[in-house]
Amino acid sequence: MNHKMIKVLQISSLAYIWIFVIAVDVWIFSLLFVAKKLDDAINASVAIGLIAIPLFIAIASILTYVFFGLQKYAKPEEKANVL
Amino acid sequence: MDKSTMENSNEDLDLFRSIEYTGNGFYWTVGFLIFVIAFGLYGYFHQVLYGLGVTGMAQPISWGFYIVNFVFFIGISHAGTLISAILRLSQAEWRRPITRMAEIITAIVLAIGGLHPILDLGQPGRMWNLVTNGRLQSPLLWDVTSITAYFAASTVYLYLPMIPDIAILRDRGVKPKWLYQFLSWNWQDTPEQKRVLERAINILMIMVIPIAVSVHTVISYIFAMTIQPGWHSTIFGPYFVAGAIFSGIAALMIAMIAFRKIFHLERYLKLIHFQYLSTLLLIMSIIWFYFTFSEYLTTFYGNEPDEMRVFNYKFIGDFAPYFWLMVFCNFAVPVIILSFKKTKTIPGILVVSFSVLIGMWLERLIIVVPSLANPRLEYPVGIYIPTITEWGLFAAGVAIFILGFLMFAKYFPLISIWEIREGRESSIKEVAHRLQSYMPDTYEEDELERALK
Repeated sequence: MNHKMIKVLQISSLAYIWIFVIAVDVWIFSLLFVAKKLDDAINASVAIGLIAIPLFIAIASILTYVFFGLQKYAKPEEKANVL
Repeated sequence: MDKSTMENSNEDLDLFRSIEYTGNGFYWTVGFLIFVIAFGLYGYFHQVLYGLGVTGMAQPISWGFYIVNFVFFIGISHAGTLISAILRLSQAEWRRPITRMAEIITAIVLAIGGLHPILDLGQPGRMWNLVTNGRLQSPLLWDVTSITAYFAASTVYLYLPMIPDIAILRDRGVKPKWLYQFLSWNWQDTPEQKRVLERAINILMIMVIPIAVSVHTVISYIFAMTIQPGWHSTIFGPYFVAGAIFSGIAALMIAMIAFRKIFHLERYLKLIHFQYLSTLLLIMSIIWFYFTFSEYLTTFYGNEPDEMRVFNYKFIGDFAPYFWLMVFCNFAVPVIILSFKKTKTIPGILVVSFSVLIGMWLERLIIVVPSLANPRLEYPVGIYIPTITEWGLFAAGVAIFILGFLMFAKYFPLISIWEIREGRESSIKEVAHRLQSYMPDTYEEDELERALK
């Protein structure tokens, strides 16, 4: 498999992780709206949402930071090979 | 590969053995495990087809093996990331050959444990209701959220420290090459790359500890937030967390002893590592006993009729053999074997670890079933006898765990190669420097003179 293909796979896998995180956050948001609509202890739901949503974003952000950090600081000749 | 890389690779040849050499035993074991998993799956399809009637669960006992195993497996998952993060954070140098295995346990066991509530639902399609109509204020939803977060964080925490090792395998030309190229993320071992990776690992290791603690606390809330006798307890959160770490360490040591033997890792996993971990196990055993004693003493002293029915059911009733066996396995065996240097050997530690796993599984059973068997309503006392379907799925869960571990060992090193090398190269100097910093400061010459005056 050539370097370009591998690069595409790496970026796609990172994108999938973000899709997963966004999906979880959208799900939590939707449950917040359900709680609001039913007037069903919305405060408790907001508290859970406030913890969970940033947490998932933080995990995905760390992965993204590492991925781009490793690409940025790779040896120049290797970078040229890959990009 | 340059000369120094080659020398380093040869020095740690043992760590590549599981990846570069596959014996017949591997295929036989995988075949057997697949057979056990297939048997479990057959049982599951049978259950989907005929409903939960094929299990031993019936009113009033509506939670059985699946929830017991859910709590048990999630508990074991605490071995990994939590222990690894604590050891890294406290800069315990003896952690180096241990952390990877601990992290693998978390990732695999969380995946297995997390699926158990779906088994308990009967029809898996009911999961969709959770997506559309879940109630975030319910502890069940807290569980879903915290387990998902813990799984995501643990997988990332397993993967990031693996990147330099994956790059070593890539440079060594291990097949499939594309896999190692794909996963190594262009790692070239430059100082800047190291800095980026270390920063990310440091952030994660701080993040992971509260997540791990929250997971088992939230699992305890499934029980404690109800007013069921035997469940409604304020200490259930820390009690569950302590139990989880306890069973987790036991599972970790079994895995370490097994893979040490199979892949001849005696040079890396030494008696001292097991002795340190077993001291931790002994401490956890005493903490577990303290929590258990506190939990039941307050119930006994309160003498509330509904609570006492459950209490007596466990102490002198139908569940008494399981209860006392649990106390024997979780307290008597660890204290007797691990308190004496003569018995604190690897075989002794293995016996204790198995004993603790059995004891902790019984503890989960004793928490879940007796409270449901003795409800407040006018039901006759419930009887729960698990069926072959439930046993089959339990066996399949254990088989998936072993298979997951074996497959991991086939493609990745079970011991972190770069951390071992880093330990060899810089730890002794660093530890000496650290020790010096613990010592009282000495006076400079002029300061000494002034002090004497």
